[in-house]
Amino acid sequence: MAINIGYFLRESAVNFRRNWVMSLGAVITIYLSLLLVGVSMMMGVIVSEIVQSVEDKVSIQIFLKDGAATEDVKALQAWLLADELVDTVNYVSKEEALERFKEEMAGSPEIVENIRENPLPASLDVTLVDPRTVEDMVVKIKANETFLKICDRPDEPEESLKYGQQIVNRLFAFTRIVRIIGVVFVAMLAVVSLIFINNTIRLAIYSRRKEIGIMRLVGASNWFIRAPFFLEGIMQSLIGAGLAILTIVAIQAAVLPRLQEAVLFLPVDLAAGTMVQLSLVLVVAGVIIGLVGAGFALRRYLKV
Amino acid sequence: MISMRGVEKYYVPEEPALAEVNVEIEAGEFVFLVGHSGSGKSTFIRLLQRELLPTGGQIIVAGQDIVRLKNWKVPYLRRNIGCVFQDFKLLPNKTSYENVAFALEVIGRSKHVIRTQVPEVLRLVGLEDKMESYPDELSGGEQQRVSIARAFVNRPPILLADEPTGNLDPATSLGIMSLFNRINKTGTTVLVATHDREMVDSMRKRVIALESGHIIRDQHRGVYGYGD
Repeated sequence: MAINIGYFLRESAVNFRRNWVMSLGAVITIYLSLLLVGVSMMMGVIVSEIVQSVEDKVSIQIFLKDGAATEDVKALQAWLLADELVDTVNYVSKEEALERFKEEMAGSPEIVENIRENPLPASLDVTLVDPRTVEDMVVKIKANETFLKICDRPDEPEESLKYGQQIVNRLFAFTRIVRIIGVVFVAMLAVVSLIFINNTIRLAIYSRRKEIGIMRLVGASNWFIRAPFFLEGIMQSLIGAGLAILTIVAIQAAVLPRLQEAVLFLPVDLAAGTMVQLSLVLVVAGVIIGLVGAGFALRRYLKV
Repeated sequence: MISMRGVEKYYVPEEPALAEVNVEIEAGEFVFLVGHSGSGKSTFIRLLQRELLPTGGQIIVAGQDIVRLKNWKVPYLRRNIGCVFQDFKLLPNKTSYENVAFALEVIGRSKHVIRTQVPEVLRLVGLEDKMESYPDELSGGEQQRVSIARAFVNRPPILLADEPTGNLDPATSLGIMSLFNRINKTGTTVLVATHDREMVDSMRKRVIALESGHIIRDQHRGVYGYGD
């Protein structure tokens, strides 16, 4: 069998050279489609990491009115901690709130300088076990009497609560749209790549029809006649996949750090394992496209 | 070795290319298949190769019912049948040696087998000096010898030839026929379709004559025997 493998490799390399324009076309379409698969996967990973990090930050802030009785605050804190949805409760005094504000606004010293007296309320920061239960917890808090008594604006208790549900919802919707668009594009490009491979293999079959005729005549088995063409399809898609992987590595190295600079507050990064996984997916997808494309062409144009 | 019973082949309804063909060819026989163009000679040959399936009847080649033969087994049938054609069917970008070696290569023979058998068969057909020549450097007769070498290199029990001398002059044809004769002497069954009258008359072998798809004559030590 050792001779056979050498023979197949030689044959498919010769085919590739003979039809290099078509082969190049096939390689480029596969490259582009796999690149799109890779980039959308990469974006998917990044977006879900962002969603994760935002969810981690989702907390409920309960603003307290100035001079709220310490017992009441403690009672509210105890009541919150007793709830199974709640993970932690943290008291932030007026002074701490001001400190935080000053830190966040360090970039605009004129605002900080203009603060005369402390306008910020004290608050209780509540984090939840599961960020998705935020709405439920808010409803519970609003019904609590202690809360109503000591909240910052008893006339409008709604305004004394701050939570990030809208952000999370919007991010989820955005991810969904990105995924759908990605899938549609990838499917279209996969079809185009299949057509391209189909065509290159058809040309290869045509340019080798004499050899094929003689192979059939002398009794070469069907898989022996087909193997070089399958190999050619796989070779084209592997080259495409390799280029796509290189490009994605380059994107990761060149674009992601800049993106991270632009949006400091969000984590824009990929775990090392993600790249390996991604490369594997691309190679496997490429091989499948190559095999299917060559298979179509052989079924239609090579009667053995 | 070859047995056809009630074989018929229609390309279009009502016009048989072959009809009521009953033929028994024993192992080691040398048979001429004669007839005008369109009389069904090529159809006959292509049925034996299983290039075509008959419309009806039974065909047994080398002990196998080739009408019922599974598609994937066809290549293994063809390894038992050497084929020679009027147009040689050589690959122009390969030397004589490579053309013959190709036939062994693609059925998975080892390099060792190829290195010993190819020069041997090229010697048998008288081309030991032209092993490195390309087809366009060879005469028609020499090209046909390469193609016979390729058909015979695997030592098939059956050799089919469709108009092997159709493109060759009489003197060259004679050489080709004596080569077939020699191959036949090794025990190979040889079936030659031809309309080369002189050849058939001089060889005095079994002759099967076809006309409009029917066998009109089957005689041992026969002659071409058409009036024209």
